[in-house]
Amino acid sequence: MSRSRVVGLAALLLVVSLPLRAQEPEQQDRMAKLDIKTRGAVELLVDSAVAEGLPTQPLRSIALLGITRKADGRQIVAAVRRELILLRTARTALGRVDETELTAAAAVLEAGAKPTQLATFKNKQRGRSDLQAFTVWADLITRGVPGEDASSAITRLWDEGADDATFVSLWNNVQSDILRGLNPGTALQNRIREAPLRPPTTKGPQTPEGQENARSE
Amino acid sequence: MLTRPRDSFIALDVTFAGRGWVIKQDMSDDAADVQRVLAGDVEAYAALVDRYYDRCARFAIRMLGNRDDAEDALQATFLRAYRALNRYQERDRFSAWLYRILVNQCRSVAARRAHRERVFVREEALLLNAPDRSPVWTGEDEEFVQRVLNELDPLLREAFLLKHIEEMSYEEMSALTGVGVSALKMRVKRACDRLRERWERIQHD
Amino acid sequence: MTDSDQHPYVEWIASEARRPVLMDPGARDRIMAAVRAEPVPTPVPAWRRLLQPRVFHMSPAGSALLAAGLVGIGVLTGVATSNRGGRAAEHPRDVAVLPSQPPVSSPDTMYKFVIVAPQAGKVSLVGDFNDWDVAKTPMTRAGQSGLWTVAVPLSAGRHLYAFVVDGTTWVQDPSAPIAPDDGFGHANSVKLVVGGSSL
Repeated sequence: MSRSRVVGLAALLLVVSLPLRAQEPEQQDRMAKLDIKTRGAVELLVDSAVAEGLPTQPLRSIALLGITRKADGRQIVAAVRRELILLRTARTALGRVDETELTAAAAVLEAGAKPTQLATFKNKQRGRSDLQAFTVWADLITRGVPGEDASSAITRLWDEGADDATFVSLWNNVQSDILRGLNPGTALQNRIREAPLRPPTTKGPQTPEGQENARSE
Repeated sequence: MLTRPRDSFIALDVTFAGRGWVIKQDMSDDAADVQRVLAGDVEAYAALVDRYYDRCARFAIRMLGNRDDAEDALQATFLRAYRALNRYQERDRFSAWLYRILVNQCRSVAARRAHRERVFVREEALLLNAPDRSPVWTGEDEEFVQRVLNELDPLLREAFLLKHIEEMSYEEMSALTGVGVSALKMRVKRACDRLRERWERIQHD
Repeated sequence: MTDSDQHPYVEWIASEARRPVLMDPGARDRIMAAVRAEPVPTPVPAWRRLLQPRVFHMSPAGSALLAAGLVGIGVLTGVATSNRGGRAAEHPRDVAVLPSQPPVSSPDTMYKFVIVAPQAGKVSLVGDFNDWDVAKTPMTRAGQSGLWTVAVPLSAGRHLYAFVVDGTTWVQDPSAPIAPDDGFGHANSVKLVVGGSSL
């Protein structure tokens, strides 16, 4: 028996014997559209995620997206595997954070940021959410801002206590500049100079320039 | 409509720079050509391309490390410059204005290349370090020098090239890149340090 | 321009790097060929130039929508191509991005998605909230404006989505941030739902 056949059968057996991880019946129906090998491979990846305490919904979602896009099995498995690796890397960089934050961080890595650059978001203050920062970060790199520029801009803003509104405003401005035809890297450079370095905060002293290290705590 | 011969002075651009008055004579050709293009003489743009292409090509190749990417960046630069000609203001030096576009296009090309090539999982040095095509070099020395330059972090490389190859002043570099003078000085210094370190390593191999 | 304490090795690198490079002679011709295909740039009067850096061009459709008080919407007056390789799609020149506002949301967090696509025959909303199923959330056309809308309940968190036009063309939401390529050739849009407000 050829090797691939053996692997295929093994996957099939695993699919049958694995308690198919909790998923809605509708999802199960749609996943059934995958050929048996692909389905098996995806379920194995999902199973790895469970074993590592990583979220599984993003993985299934990618498989479903692949089905809609009529991608071939190998492409779907590759995409799911890539997401698993990204989630794993994000977990290593950020520690135990919730699923939403992990997937947002994974997108930042996917766009091209380095795991070390996520480190500044580890152990953040209570009540402070990095979702907006991550979303803008991944967007900027995807739109063509050089990775290093985007990463240093976002991490700097975060370190200086920027709030969600600051990130949103930065995104709005840079994106509209890019739409007008401005080079993405230039657009970011221009706008980052305008971004308030010290957003209004009730805690901590503020110097006139707002630049000295008055961290909120 | 008045057509101006290329090498006549139309206006002397006089500015106060540093401690004295500076007359920027070299601007007359560039400004004249820009005027001609805006008046509808598209072929006048060829004069600008001819004047600046080699210099820009040298920067692009040193910055990006290979010919294909450099050509991409150059094509994009001259096209963008053409489209933006109506925004060029004569009080700026055309070369500085053009270089701002060139530097940004090089950054874009580098970013696109990094996005294409990266393997996202590993914490690795920036992929821009590795030349990925075999360029047609004119000599062994040039290849060696390019490899050495490729090892520099892109921001350091950019600053080093602008300072020591394009021989710009820090003020010009700052206007061009939007980065402060002291940061640029630091980058150039660090680039030189790295190059020196490399030399020490070679010595001890 | 060398520093007085420039290391000789560094100086050597610099002088080698200053040598001219050999470029393909055809490259300049290609540039001029491309230039000739472009519209001639028209001079801008000086007073207009002063305004230029901050002028924000809006299409007629966008202006109309703004006048009608609809903001926070992506106005797509042409169908964008689905992208390859994860890069942001080339936006048609007349896409306007209007500043976003907090959505009108009821307590059970219904979110309204809007896209302007006057040429479309049908538009669907797909996303991780409906298993990316094109059949699940068709959008409805509102009158003559070319506006397509649908409202869906969204849980708190991060959602990826896209619009599918005429069953085949995947379109980003021009007013939303994008995520990198999903592995299938499209960068989807991102909606953050955090405690009742969204980006």
